[in-house]
Amino acid sequence: MSMRKMTKAEWAAFLSGDREEGRRRIMGEHIEKSPGWQAEAAAIERLLKETEAVKAEIREAAASVNWDTLPAMIADRALAAGVQARRNVADSPRWGWLASFPLKPVLAGLAAGLVVGAAAMYFTLRAPGVRRGQDNAYYASGDFLDRAELEMARRNTLDYLEKSQYVLLDVFESADEGPVVPPALRSERARDLLQKKKYLNAQLERFQMAKAKVLCDQIETLFLELSQLDEELSAAELGRIRGFVEERQLLLKINLVKKELQSGV
Amino acid sequence: MSEVSRHREGEAAEIASLLEKIQAGDREAFMTIIRLYQQKVFVMAYSILRDREDALDAVQETFLRLYQKAGLYRPGNSFQGWLLQMAKNISIDAYRKHQRKRREWETTRPLEEIPVAAEPARTGDSAAADLRSAFARSVDTLAERQKMVFVMRHYNELQFSEISEAMKISIGTAKSLHFKAVQNLRKRLAPVLGIES
Repeated sequence: MSMRKMTKAEWAAFLSGDREEGRRRIMGEHIEKSPGWQAEAAAIERLLKETEAVKAEIREAAASVNWDTLPAMIADRALAAGVQARRNVADSPRWGWLASFPLKPVLAGLAAGLVVGAAAMYFTLRAPGVRRGQDNAYYASGDFLDRAELEMARRNTLDYLEKSQYVLLDVFESADEGPVVPPALRSERARDLLQKKKYLNAQLERFQMAKAKVLCDQIETLFLELSQLDEELSAAELGRIRGFVEERQLLLKINLVKKELQSGV
Repeated sequence: MSEVSRHREGEAAEIASLLEKIQAGDREAFMTIIRLYQQKVFVMAYSILRDREDALDAVQETFLRLYQKAGLYRPGNSFQGWLLQMAKNISIDAYRKHQRKRREWETTRPLEEIPVAAEPARTGDSAAADLRSAFARSVDTLAERQKMVFVMRHYNELQFSEISEAMKISIGTAKSLHFKAVQNLRKRLAPVLGIES
Protein backbone atom coordinates (compact mmCIF):
# COMPACT_ATOMS: atom_id res chain seq x y z
CA MET A 1 0.00 0.00 0.00
CA SER A 2 1.60 3.24 -1.06
CA MET A 3 1.43 6.47 0.90
CA ARG A 4 -0.99 7.96 -1.63
CA LYS A 5 -3.39 5.06 -1.33
CA MET A 6 -4.02 5.76 2.37
CA THR A 7 -7.12 7.87 1.83
CA LYS A 8 -9.46 9.63 4.25
CA ALA A 9 -11.88 6.75 3.87
CA GLU A 10 -9.12 4.32 4.85
CA TRP A 11 -8.36 6.41 7.91
CA ALA A 12 -12.02 6.63 8.82
CA ALA A 13 -12.36 2.87 8.50
CA PHE A 14 -9.19 2.32 10.49
CA LEU A 15 -10.31 4.66 13.26
CA SER A 16 -13.77 3.18 13.46
CA GLY A 17 -12.36 -0.34 13.69
CA ASP A 18 -14.33 -1.19 10.58
CA ARG A 19 -11.77 -3.41 8.92
CA GLU A 20 -11.30 -7.13 9.10
CA GLU A 21 -8.28 -8.26 11.09
CA GLY A 22 -6.07 -8.98 8.05
CA ARG A 23 -6.70 -5.57 6.55
CA ARG A 24 -6.11 -3.84 9.88
CA ARG A 25 -2.81 -5.64 10.23
CA ILE A 26 -1.70 -4.53 6.76
CA MET A 27 -2.72 -0.96 7.52
CA GLY A 28 -0.89 -1.13 10.87
CA GLU A 29 2.27 -2.35 9.12
CA HIS A 30 1.93 0.43 6.58
CA ILE A 31 1.60 3.04 9.30
CA GLU A 32 4.66 1.62 11.06
CA LYS A 33 6.74 1.90 7.90
CA SER A 34 5.71 5.47 7.09
CA PRO A 35 6.97 8.12 9.54
CA GLY A 36 4.30 10.60 8.41
CA TRP A 37 1.41 8.28 9.07
CA GLN A 38 3.10 7.03 12.22
CA ALA A 39 3.08 10.57 13.60
CA GLU A 40 -0.53 10.98 12.56
CA ALA A 41 -1.56 7.74 14.22
CA ALA A 42 0.33 8.69 17.38
CA ALA A 43 -1.42 12.09 17.46
CA ILE A 44 -4.85 10.51 17.12
CA GLU A 45 -3.97 7.87 19.69
CA ARG A 46 -2.94 10.58 22.13
CA LEU A 47 -6.10 12.49 21.40
CA LEU A 48 -8.34 9.51 21.96
CA LYS A 49 -6.54 8.73 25.20
CA GLU A 50 -8.14 11.87 26.53
CA THR A 51 -11.49 10.16 26.24
CA GLU A 52 -10.25 7.81 28.93
CA ALA A 53 -10.06 10.71 31.33
CA VAL A 54 -13.65 11.66 30.57
CA LYS A 55 -14.72 8.05 30.87
CA ALA A 56 -13.03 7.89 34.25
CA GLU A 57 -14.94 11.01 35.27
CA ILE A 58 -18.23 9.42 34.11
CA ARG A 59 -17.40 6.21 36.01
CA GLU A 60 -16.68 8.25 39.11
CA ALA A 61 -20.00 10.10 38.81
CA ALA A 62 -21.89 6.87 38.12
CA ALA A 63 -20.31 5.17 41.11
CA SER A 64 -21.80 7.76 43.43
CA VAL A 65 -25.37 7.04 42.28
CA ASN A 66 -27.50 4.58 44.19
CA TRP A 67 -28.71 2.46 41.27
CA ASP A 68 -30.76 0.16 43.52
CA THR A 69 -33.15 2.84 44.73
CA LEU A 70 -33.37 4.89 41.52
CA PRO A 71 -35.76 2.52 39.64
CA ALA A 72 -38.30 2.57 42.46
CA MET A 73 -38.09 6.35 42.70
CA ILE A 74 -38.63 6.82 38.97
CA ALA A 75 -41.45 4.24 38.90
CA ASP A 76 -43.23 6.04 41.76
CA ARG A 77 -42.94 9.36 39.94
CA ALA A 78 -44.15 7.83 36.67
CA LEU A 79 -47.17 6.17 38.28
CA ALA A 80 -48.05 9.33 40.18
CA ALA A 81 -47.73 11.37 36.98
CA GLY A 82 -49.88 8.80 35.15
CA VAL A 83 -52.63 9.00 37.77
CA GLN A 84 -52.46 12.80 37.67
CA ALA A 85 -52.64 12.80 33.85
CA ARG A 86 -55.72 10.50 33.89
CA ARG A 87 -57.33 12.76 36.51
CA ASN A 88 -56.58 15.82 34.37
CA VAL A 89 -58.13 14.15 31.33
CA ALA A 90 -61.24 13.24 33.32
CA ASP A 91 -61.53 16.75 34.76
CA SER A 92 -60.82 18.60 31.56
CA PRO A 93 -63.79 20.06 29.72
CA ARG A 94 -64.99 18.39 26.53
CA TRP A 95 -63.31 20.94 24.28
CA GLY A 96 -60.29 21.31 26.54
CA TRP A 97 -57.98 20.03 23.83
CA LEU A 98 -58.61 23.25 21.94
CA ALA A 99 -56.86 25.16 24.69
CA SER A 100 -53.60 23.40 23.87
CA PHE A 101 -53.51 24.84 20.34
CA PRO A 102 -52.36 28.35 21.22
CA LEU A 103 -49.32 26.76 22.88
CA LYS A 104 -48.28 25.14 19.64
CA PRO A 105 -47.02 27.81 17.24
CA VAL A 106 -46.78 25.46 14.28
CA LEU A 107 -50.42 24.38 14.63
CA ALA A 108 -51.53 27.95 15.23
CA GLY A 109 -49.62 29.06 12.13
CA LEU A 110 -51.14 26.23 10.10
CA ALA A 111 -54.65 27.10 11.24
CA ALA A 112 -54.12 30.79 10.47
CA GLY A 113 -52.76 29.86 7.04
CA LEU A 114 -55.83 27.76 6.32
CA VAL A 115 -58.18 30.57 7.34
CA VAL A 116 -56.33 33.18 5.26
CA GLY A 117 -56.10 30.79 2.31
CA ALA A 118 -59.79 29.95 2.46
CA ALA A 119 -60.70 33.65 2.63
CA ALA A 120 -58.43 34.44 -0.33
CA MET A 121 -59.98 31.58 -2.33
CA TYR A 122 -63.46 32.84 -1.50
CA PHE A 123 -62.79 36.40 -2.62
CA THR A 124 -60.88 35.29 -5.72
CA LEU A 125 -63.15 32.58 -7.02
CA ARG A 126 -66.66 33.70 -6.08
CA ALA A 127 -68.88 34.26 -9.13
CA PRO A 128 -69.39 37.90 -10.10
CA GLY A 129 -72.84 39.42 -10.65
CA VAL A 130 -75.98 38.02 -9.10
CA ARG A 131 -75.55 36.72 -5.56
CA ARG A 132 -77.28 33.76 -4.08
CA GLY A 133 -80.64 34.68 -2.59
CA GLN A 134 -81.21 37.56 -5.00
CA ASP A 135 -82.11 35.26 -7.91
CA ASN A 136 -84.71 33.30 -5.99
CA ALA A 137 -87.55 35.38 -7.58
CA TYR A 138 -86.65 34.05 -11.04
CA TYR A 139 -86.47 30.47 -10.12
CA ALA A 140 -88.87 28.08 -11.88
CA SER A 141 -88.88 24.32 -11.98
CA GLY A 142 -88.62 22.41 -15.26
CA ASP A 143 -92.08 20.96 -14.71
CA PHE A 144 -93.62 24.42 -14.35
CA LEU A 145 -91.91 25.63 -17.52
CA ASP A 146 -93.23 22.59 -19.44
CA ARG A 147 -96.77 23.30 -18.31
CA ALA A 148 -96.41 26.98 -19.25
CA GLU A 149 -95.21 26.04 -22.73
CA LEU A 150 -98.11 23.60 -23.19
CA GLU A 151 -100.47 26.36 -22.20
CA MET A 152 -98.87 28.72 -24.71
CA ALA A 153 -99.21 26.08 -27.43
CA ARG A 154 -102.91 25.65 -26.66
CA ARG A 155 -103.56 29.37 -26.74
CA ASN A 156 -101.57 29.84 -29.98
CA THR A 157 -103.45 26.97 -31.63
CA LEU A 158 -106.77 28.41 -30.49
CA ASP A 159 -105.81 31.80 -31.84
CA TYR A 160 -104.68 30.26 -35.14
CA LEU A 161 -107.89 28.29 -35.52
CA GLU A 162 -110.05 31.28 -34.68
CA LYS A 163 -108.31 33.56 -37.17
CA SER A 164 -108.41 30.80 -39.80
CA GLN A 165 -112.13 30.45 -39.19
CA TYR A 166 -112.64 34.18 -39.83
CA VAL A 167 -110.67 34.01 -43.07
CA LEU A 168 -112.64 30.96 -44.26
CA LEU A 169 -115.98 32.56 -43.34
CA ASP A 170 -114.86 35.66 -45.18
CA VAL A 171 -114.13 33.56 -48.26
CA PHE A 172 -117.57 31.95 -48.04
CA GLU A 173 -119.35 35.28 -47.58
CA SER A 174 -117.44 36.69 -50.52
CA ALA A 175 -118.66 33.78 -52.58
CA ASP A 176 -122.32 34.45 -51.58
CA GLU A 177 -122.63 38.24 -51.45
CA GLY A 178 -119.51 39.72 -53.01
CA PRO A 179 -116.31 40.78 -51.16
CA VAL A 180 -116.90 41.99 -47.57
CA VAL A 181 -113.20 42.21 -46.77
CA PRO A 182 -110.96 43.59 -49.47
CA PRO A 183 -109.18 40.71 -51.25
CA ALA A 184 -105.77 42.25 -50.54
CA LEU A 185 -106.44 42.20 -46.83
CA ARG A 186 -107.71 38.57 -47.01
CA SER A 187 -104.53 37.47 -48.78
CA GLU A 188 -102.43 39.31 -46.22
CA ARG A 189 -104.26 37.56 -43.38
CA ALA A 190 -103.70 34.20 -45.08
CA ARG A 191 -99.96 34.94 -45.38
CA ASP A 192 -99.82 35.98 -41.70
CA LEU A 193 -101.50 32.75 -40.73
CA LEU A 194 -99.06 30.79 -42.86
CA GLN A 195 -96.20 32.46 -40.99
CA LYS A 196 -97.84 31.70 -37.68
CA LYS A 197 -98.33 28.08 -38.65
CA LYS A 198 -94.57 27.67 -39.13
CA TYR A 199 -94.05 28.73 -35.52
CA LEU A 200 -96.99 26.58 -34.39
CA ASN A 201 -95.66 23.39 -36.01
CA ALA A 202 -92.92 22.91 -33.41
CA GLN A 203 -95.33 23.36 -30.51
CA LEU A 204 -97.93 20.98 -31.98
CA GLU A 205 -95.27 18.31 -32.46
CA ARG A 206 -93.67 18.77 -29.09
CA PHE A 207 -96.91 18.41 -27.14
CA GLN A 208 -98.28 15.69 -29.39
CA MET A 209 -101.48 17.58 -30.24
CA ALA A 210 -102.12 15.25 -33.19
CA LYS A 211 -105.74 16.13 -33.91
CA ALA A 212 -105.11 19.88 -33.91
CA LYS A 213 -102.01 19.38 -36.06
CA VAL A 214 -103.90 17.46 -38.80
CA LEU A 215 -106.52 20.19 -38.89
CA CYS A 216 -103.99 23.00 -38.94
CA ASP A 217 -102.08 21.24 -41.74
CA GLN A 218 -105.25 21.10 -43.87
CA ILE A 219 -105.96 24.77 -43.21
CA GLU A 220 -102.38 25.56 -44.11
CA THR A 221 -102.73 23.80 -47.46
CA LEU A 222 -105.82 25.85 -48.14
CA PHE A 223 -104.19 29.14 -47.21
CA LEU A 224 -101.16 28.29 -49.30
CA GLU A 225 -103.47 27.97 -52.24
CA LEU A 226 -105.32 31.18 -51.29
CA SER A 227 -102.11 33.18 -51.03
CA GLN A 228 -101.01 31.98 -54.49
CA LEU A 229 -104.24 32.81 -56.19
CA ASP A 230 -104.98 36.21 -57.68
CA GLU A 231 -106.36 38.81 -55.35
CA GLU A 232 -109.66 38.83 -57.27
CA LEU A 233 -110.88 35.25 -56.94
CA SER A 234 -113.08 34.01 -59.70
CA ALA A 235 -116.41 32.37 -58.83
CA ALA A 236 -115.00 29.06 -59.99
CA GLU A 237 -112.00 29.33 -57.70
CA LEU A 238 -114.17 30.35 -54.78
CA GLY A 239 -116.47 27.42 -55.45
CA ARG A 240 -113.53 25.00 -55.54
CA ILE A 241 -112.24 26.31 -52.21
CA ARG A 242 -115.66 26.16 -50.68
CA GLY A 243 -116.00 22.57 -51.91
CA PHE A 244 -112.69 21.72 -50.33
CA VAL A 245 -113.75 23.24 -46.96
CA GLU A 246 -117.10 21.54 -47.01
CA GLU A 247 -115.72 18.25 -48.13
CA ARG A 248 -113.25 18.21 -45.30
CA GLN A 249 -115.77 19.74 -42.91
CA LEU A 250 -113.10 22.15 -41.90
CA LEU A 251 -115.33 24.66 -40.12
CA LEU A 252 -116.96 21.93 -38.06
CA LYS A 253 -113.63 20.43 -37.19
CA ILE A 254 -112.33 23.88 -36.23
CA ASN A 255 -115.21 24.32 -33.82
CA LEU A 256 -114.73 20.87 -32.29
CA VAL A 257 -111.00 21.24 -31.82
CA LYS A 258 -111.49 24.77 -30.44
CA LYS A 259 -113.93 23.43 -27.86
CA GLU A 260 -111.53 20.68 -26.89
CA LEU A 261 -108.68 23.16 -26.51
CA GLN A 262 -110.85 25.60 -24.56
CA SER A 263 -111.93 22.90 -22.13
CA GLY A 264 -108.24 22.19 -21.51
CA VAL A 265 -107.37 25.83 -20.83
CA MET B 1 -29.86 -18.62 12.24
CA SER B 2 -26.75 -17.74 14.26
CA GLU B 3 -26.53 -17.88 18.04
CA VAL B 4 -26.13 -14.09 18.21
CA SER B 5 -29.24 -13.31 16.13
CA ARG B 6 -31.28 -15.86 18.13
CA HIS B 7 -30.14 -14.18 21.34
CA ARG B 8 -31.05 -10.74 19.92
CA GLU B 9 -34.51 -11.92 18.89
CA GLY B 10 -35.12 -13.37 22.35
CA GLU B 11 -34.00 -10.12 23.93
CA ALA B 12 -36.25 -8.07 21.61
CA ALA B 13 -39.24 -10.27 22.45
CA GLU B 14 -38.53 -9.85 26.15
CA ILE B 15 -38.34 -6.07 25.78
CA ALA B 16 -41.56 -6.01 23.76
CA SER B 17 -43.31 -8.02 26.46
CA LEU B 18 -42.01 -5.68 29.18
CA LEU B 19 -43.19 -2.65 27.22
CA GLU B 20 -46.66 -4.15 26.84
CA LYS B 21 -46.81 -4.64 30.58
CA ILE B 22 -45.64 -1.07 31.15
CA GLN B 23 -48.51 0.16 28.97
CA ALA B 24 -50.85 -1.78 31.24
CA GLY B 25 -49.33 0.04 34.23
CA ASP B 26 -47.09 -2.80 35.51
CA ARG B 27 -44.70 -1.19 37.98
CA GLU B 28 -42.41 -4.20 38.22
CA ALA B 29 -41.92 -4.39 34.43
CA PHE B 30 -41.10 -0.69 34.37
CA MET B 31 -38.54 -1.11 37.14
CA THR B 32 -36.96 -4.01 35.24
CA ILE B 33 -36.47 -1.85 32.17
CA ILE B 34 -35.00 0.94 34.31
CA ARG B 35 -32.60 -1.47 36.01
CA LEU B 36 -31.45 -2.76 32.61
CA TYR B 37 -30.77 0.60 30.99
CA GLN B 38 -30.35 3.25 33.72
CA GLN B 39 -26.55 3.28 33.62
CA LYS B 40 -26.39 3.49 29.84
CA VAL B 41 -28.81 6.39 29.88
CA PHE B 42 -26.79 8.05 32.64
CA VAL B 43 -23.56 7.79 30.63
CA MET B 44 -25.30 9.36 27.64
CA ALA B 45 -26.76 12.20 29.73
CA TYR B 46 -23.54 12.82 31.65
CA SER B 47 -21.50 12.89 28.43
CA ILE B 48 -23.61 15.77 27.22
CA LEU B 49 -24.35 17.61 30.45
CA ARG B 50 -21.13 16.91 32.38
CA ASP B 51 -22.96 17.32 35.66
CA ARG B 52 -24.06 14.48 37.94
CA GLU B 53 -27.32 16.03 39.14
CA ASP B 54 -28.36 17.26 35.71
CA ALA B 55 -27.57 13.83 34.29
CA LEU B 56 -29.69 12.15 36.97
CA ASP B 57 -32.57 14.50 36.17
CA ALA B 58 -32.22 13.59 32.50
CA VAL B 59 -32.25 9.88 33.40
CA GLN B 60 -35.49 10.32 35.32
CA GLU B 61 -37.01 12.40 32.55
CA THR B 62 -36.03 9.79 29.95
CA PHE B 63 -37.72 6.95 31.82
CA LEU B 64 -40.80 9.06 32.57
CA ARG B 65 -41.10 9.72 28.88
CA LEU B 66 -40.59 6.03 28.16
CA TYR B 67 -43.46 5.27 30.54
CA GLN B 68 -45.73 7.65 28.62
CA LYS B 69 -44.60 6.59 25.15
CA ALA B 70 -43.96 2.86 25.54
CA GLY B 71 -46.66 2.23 22.94
CA LEU B 72 -44.71 4.16 20.30
CA TYR B 73 -41.81 1.72 20.21
CA ARG B 74 -41.75 -0.26 16.96
CA PRO B 75 -40.68 -3.87 17.48
CA GLY B 76 -37.88 -4.76 15.11
CA ASN B 77 -35.94 -1.57 15.82
CA SER B 78 -33.27 -1.45 18.48
CA PHE B 79 -34.86 -0.61 21.81
CA GLN B 80 -31.55 0.62 23.20
CA GLY B 81 -31.11 2.88 20.18
CA TRP B 82 -34.63 4.26 20.63
CA LEU B 83 -34.14 4.85 24.36
CA LEU B 84 -30.73 6.47 23.92
CA GLN B 85 -32.13 8.72 21.23
CA MET B 86 -34.76 9.86 23.71
CA ALA B 87 -32.06 10.37 26.37
CA LYS B 88 -29.90 12.29 23.90
CA ASN B 89 -32.76 14.63 22.95
CA ILE B 90 -33.71 15.26 26.57
CA SER B 91 -30.07 15.91 27.53
CA ILE B 92 -29.51 18.29 24.62
CA ASP B 93 -32.68 20.19 25.57
CA ALA B 94 -31.50 20.40 29.17
CA TYR B 95 -28.03 21.48 28.05
CA ARG B 96 -29.49 24.29 25.93
CA LYS B 97 -31.74 25.36 28.77
CA HIS B 98 -28.76 25.52 31.13
CA GLN B 99 -26.74 27.46 28.59
CA ARG B 100 -29.58 29.97 28.20
CA LYS B 101 -30.00 30.32 31.95
CA ARG B 102 -26.28 30.80 32.35
CA ARG B 103 -26.26 33.54 29.71
CA GLU B 104 -29.21 35.24 31.38
CA TRP B 105 -27.55 34.96 34.76
CA GLU B 106 -24.36 36.43 33.41
CA THR B 107 -26.14 39.35 31.79
CA THR B 108 -28.34 40.18 34.80
CA ARG B 109 -25.74 39.76 37.59
CA PRO B 110 -23.46 42.65 38.55
CA LEU B 111 -20.06 42.25 36.95
CA GLU B 112 -18.22 41.81 40.27
CA GLU B 113 -20.37 38.76 41.14
CA ILE B 114 -19.42 36.82 38.02
CA PRO B 115 -16.45 34.52 38.55
CA VAL B 116 -13.87 35.51 36.03
CA ALA B 117 -11.15 33.07 37.03
CA ALA B 118 -11.23 29.47 35.86
CA GLU B 119 -12.41 26.92 38.37
CA PRO B 120 -9.57 25.30 40.27
CA ALA B 121 -8.55 21.94 38.89
CA ARG B 122 -9.90 18.98 40.81
CA THR B 123 -6.77 16.88 40.37
CA GLY B 124 -3.30 17.72 41.46
CA ASP B 125 -1.76 17.64 38.02
CA SER B 126 -2.70 21.02 36.57
CA ALA B 127 -1.31 20.28 33.09
CA ALA B 128 -3.45 17.16 32.83
CA ALA B 129 -6.43 19.08 34.13
CA ASP B 130 -5.84 21.79 31.53
CA LEU B 131 -5.67 19.19 28.79
CA ARG B 132 -8.83 17.50 30.01
CA SER B 133 -10.60 20.85 30.18
CA ALA B 134 -9.40 21.78 26.68
CA PHE B 135 -10.48 18.41 25.38
CA ALA B 136 -13.95 18.75 26.96
CA ARG B 137 -14.34 22.24 25.50
CA SER B 138 -13.26 21.03 22.08
CA VAL B 139 -15.74 18.17 22.13
CA ASP B 140 -18.39 20.66 23.21
CA THR B 141 -17.69 22.91 20.25
CA LEU B 142 -17.98 20.14 17.66
CA ALA B 143 -20.97 20.26 15.34
CA GLU B 144 -23.88 18.58 17.12
CA ARG B 145 -23.98 15.39 15.05
CA GLN B 146 -20.22 14.96 15.17
CA LYS B 147 -20.29 15.48 18.91
CA MET B 148 -23.09 12.95 19.40
CA VAL B 149 -21.36 10.29 17.35
CA PHE B 150 -18.09 10.88 19.17
CA VAL B 151 -19.76 10.77 22.59
CA MET B 152 -21.72 7.62 21.77
CA ARG B 153 -18.70 5.89 20.31
CA HIS B 154 -16.13 6.73 22.98
CA TYR B 155 -18.08 7.42 26.18
CA ASN B 156 -21.04 5.11 25.70
CA GLU B 157 -18.87 2.62 23.80
CA LEU B 158 -21.66 1.90 21.33
CA GLN B 159 -21.18 0.07 18.04
CA PHE B 160 -21.68 2.12 14.88
CA SER B 161 -24.81 0.10 14.14
CA GLU B 162 -26.25 1.17 17.52
CA ILE B 163 -25.20 4.79 16.93
CA SER B 164 -26.90 4.76 13.53
CA GLU B 165 -30.12 3.50 15.11
CA ALA B 166 -30.00 6.00 17.94
CA MET B 167 -29.35 8.91 15.58
CA LYS B 168 -31.48 7.63 12.71
CA ILE B 169 -28.59 7.86 10.24
CA SER B 170 -26.83 5.26 8.13
CA ILE B 171 -23.82 3.39 9.48
CA GLY B 172 -21.68 5.01 6.77
CA THR B 173 -22.79 8.49 7.87
CA ALA B 174 -22.05 7.62 11.49
CA LYS B 175 -18.52 6.53 10.55
CA SER B 176 -17.99 9.60 8.42
CA LEU B 177 -19.17 11.91 11.23
CA HIS B 178 -16.87 10.11 13.64
CA PHE B 179 -13.91 10.62 11.34
CA LYS B 180 -14.72 14.31 10.94
CA ALA B 181 -15.06 14.69 14.71
CA VAL B 182 -11.64 13.13 15.27
CA GLN B 183 -10.09 15.31 12.56
CA ASN B 184 -11.60 18.46 14.04
CA LEU B 185 -10.53 17.56 17.57
CA ARG B 186 -7.05 16.84 16.28
CA LYS B 187 -6.89 20.24 14.64
CA ARG B 188 -8.21 22.11 17.65
CA LEU B 189 -6.08 20.30 20.19
CA ALA B 190 -2.86 20.24 18.17
CA PRO B 191 -1.26 23.10 20.16
CA VAL B 192 -2.23 21.57 23.51
CA LEU B 193 -1.14 18.09 22.58
CA GLY B 194 2.06 19.40 21.03
CA ILE B 195 1.41 17.79 17.66
CA GLU B 196 1.61 19.21 14.18
CA SER B 197 -1.63 20.71 12.95
